[in-house]
Amino acid sequence: MTHDAKPPAAPAAPLEPGQYGQFLKEHGISSERLVDSCGVETIVVAAADLPPALKLLRNSSEVKLDLLITVTGVDNNDTYDSVYHLWSYEHINELVIKVMTKKTDVADGRLPEVPSISNFWSAANWHERETYDLVGIRYTGHPYLRRILNPWDWDGHPLRRDYKQPVDGLNDKNPHSMR
Amino acid sequence: MVTELHNVDLKTDEMIINMGPQHPATHGVLRLILTLDGEKVKHVEPILGHLHRAQEWQGQNRTWFQYQALIDRVDYLSGMFTSWAMARACEQLDGVVVPERAEYLRVMVSEMNRITSHLLWLGTYLIDLGAMFGFPFYPFREREKLLDLLEEIAGQRMMFNYIRIGGVQRNPKPEWFDKLKRFTEEFPDRIDEYEAIVTQNPIFLKRTKGVGILKRSVAQDYGVTGPCIRCSGIPLDLRRTKPYSVFPELKFDVITMDKEGDTWDRYMARILEMRESNKIIRQCIDKLPEGEIMGKKQMAGMRIKAGEGFAAVESPRGILGCYVTSTGGEKAFRFRWRNPSFCNLSVLSELLVDTPIADIMAIFGSIDVILPDVDR
Repeated sequence: MTHDAKPPAAPAAPLEPGQYGQFLKEHGISSERLVDSCGVETIVVAAADLPPALKLLRNSSEVKLDLLITVTGVDNNDTYDSVYHLWSYEHINELVIKVMTKKTDVADGRLPEVPSISNFWSAANWHERETYDLVGIRYTGHPYLRRILNPWDWDGHPLRRDYKQPVDGLNDKNPHSMR
Repeated sequence: MVTELHNVDLKTDEMIINMGPQHPATHGVLRLILTLDGEKVKHVEPILGHLHRAQEWQGQNRTWFQYQALIDRVDYLSGMFTSWAMARACEQLDGVVVPERAEYLRVMVSEMNRITSHLLWLGTYLIDLGAMFGFPFYPFREREKLLDLLEEIAGQRMMFNYIRIGGVQRNPKPEWFDKLKRFTEEFPDRIDEYEAIVTQNPIFLKRTKGVGILKRSVAQDYGVTGPCIRCSGIPLDLRRTKPYSVFPELKFDVITMDKEGDTWDRYMARILEMRESNKIIRQCIDKLPEGEIMGKKQMAGMRIKAGEGFAAVESPRGILGCYVTSTGGEKAFRFRWRNPSFCNLSVLSELLVDTPIADIMAIFGSIDVILPDVDR
């Protein structure tokens, strides 16, 4: 899998915390702010802080980010990202939360680990399964972490940059193929 | 002997039954593993992925120009909305200004598409409930008229590729608007026809009233969107709550049922939504300005500026979103779809518990799930 250039580089100076970063800081959860994604506040939290942070944002009456839009896995250049898009049913609030695991921190043959949130947020259940299936992020504590789109015995995680497609018996040039 | 039999503790086992993937009422290939206690469903496990076509992988390996022709296939009943979600996400990143005429045309064709999608749902839903008497031909009659009109501007009946990054593909001819106007004038009478057959039909009421009640808290927990959540009393319609395009200038009602929605409410909501869409189309025809229809040059080597963004539109099934990460190249770095069918289907295991097996299709059909949209 090829791509043309590197993803956008982080700015040199750290950014001031935004509305939600400030809110989390008041409740004792530290976060780092990234460049806004198309005008939406984007923050990075540590993996261990993710479930308390999401519980806070979902339940507090002032923020009320109670609509989990997606959980996305991204195989970035140096990190595995687990990206959470949060909206609100009542307000127009939006927030993007990322958990970034450095590739150098993941041992060979292991998957990056992020705590699961599907125990208190059912919407995340299938999204986390899909991310595990396609990008290979293990959500620890997930009640039923199985492949959802690929067959259960599929080899590898197709949206990884280093993924190799299985040998195509019909169309490739190898001598053992059916042609 | 009889008295002895009464004293015997009869052993009743739960039965595990496989349903699908080749089932006439699952609108594609959905497989359900049902755990039954007699006639009652105790547990459901949906098995997905039979139609998985690696749409996200293809997004990373096709150029922007190629990929926008491909994504109509994600949800084949509402291709305009998938195109629109991708176009909006890319326009946000690239800072493209879409001409006003293009925006009005987008609203017009997407609302036409919403009507065709709801009409097909109406026809097939009645078949799901066992109405084999030819009712589906009523909605399909109007659906064909709309598809003919869409074919005239896009060149294809269902895979339109009409909404492009930066605008729309081509200008309709003046006669096209006359035809569309004539359609919108007669369409409310046609909806009255459907309602005369279905809405107060005693069999239909018996099959749908009080069946598959979706509680508000459950719907919120599972991230349900679209008509399903509006029937549970939450007025979440992106066209109103986060207005995009020219929706702020159009007058229409958001159909919200003020109680816990059952299957009949979800039917009624879609009927009323078709009436609202019809109003929107008429307003668009009247307000359509003259001018350009494309704000970005369409070419094979098109590039989108680096960055990441999420954009969503209100599709017939709910919030259809697209998360794009670009590195400024000819291809995307990462594409992610938020498909309403995928999220709405996950609530099925909650809805079906303790319902009779005969109601499975009544409930599943009322969520209006499109399996290619689930599996991508």
